Amino acid sequence: MNNIVSKILIVANLVFSLCFMCFAGAVFTFQDGWRDKANKTQEQLTSANGQVSQLLGDKELLTTKHAKEFGDEKARANKAEAKVNGLDLNLKQAIGNLTNAEKERDKHLVDLQVAQQEMQARQTETNDARAEIKRLRDQNNEAIAVRRGLEDENLEMEGAIAEAGTREVQFLKEITHLNELLRLNKIDPRDPVIGPVPKVVEMVDGFVVESRKNSSRSAELVQISVGSDDGVFKHMKMTVYRDSNFLATIQITEVYPDKAVGLVIEETRSGTIERRDNVTTKF
Amino acid sequence: MSQQSSDPTIYDGLMFVSLGAVIVGIVFLIMSLDGYGWSAGAG
Repeated sequence: MNNIVSKILIVANLVFSLCFMCFAGAVFTFQDGWRDKANKTQEQLTSANGQVSQLLGDKELLTTKHAKEFGDEKARANKAEAKVNGLDLNLKQAIGNLTNAEKERDKHLVDLQVAQQEMQARQTETNDARAEIKRLRDQNNEAIAVRRGLEDENLEMEGAIAEAGTREVQFLKEITHLNELLRLNKIDPRDPVIGPVPKVVEMVDGFVVESRKNSSRSAELVQISVGSDDGVFKHMKMTVYRDSNFLATIQITEVYPDKAVGLVIEETRSGTIERRDNVTTKF
Repeated sequence: MSQQSSDPTIYDGLMFVSLGAVIVGIVFLIMSLDGYGWSAGAG
């Protein structure tokens, strides 16, 4: 029995010894790689520590900087907040002012509408007044034309009155002269006139407007340019001449205010009567 | 007392082989420790 246990123990001792030798050899074989790896790891760790330290320094700097910036920004924020509060107040005031301005605007719009209606009414009145003015101007122009016509008539009347006054004076002188002649001839001017009295023939000059014979060509009628306004009267005798040559004597048969017609007395004819020949009462 | 044989057996040889393996292992460990600056005198 002891031999069997001893043998088992010897074999176990052999196995574990061989395992120990193998593990020790493996450790000896791979220790360089493990060392290099450990050194690299150590270097990496050192580098990481340095980076960590640098980063910590940077962090401190950044923390300080950020703290300062934070303070500045906080101060700016406070200023901005105060400014915003001020602006908010201003905005509220502006909104209030805007509301008041809108009320004023509405009021002014209402006033404007009233003013526009008033303006339209005024425009209508103005148009009516213009039409009335135009009508009155037309009436005024017509009245001016009528007044000018009346003034012309008045001037003509005044001229006629002046001429009548002049003729009256002449007539008075002639009457005085005739009365003196009558007295010199021992005739009383107050004696009554017995028998027909021939009309006074005044000096009248005109010209032949047209000369025409009757259908039987036995008589010739002459139209002259003077009439009753010039002192021509019916049965009056007038002389027709050209230059200084006597042509014929005519007897007036028709008298108009501005023209007259005379019959040629054939016994006195010494030439042919043509247009523009002269006519006179005293040749 | 029984008479014991004095001839070495296979198990004696195995014992020597185990001893050699342990020694070789110890040598490997010492050499490995030298790589980390360890010396036998300094302990």
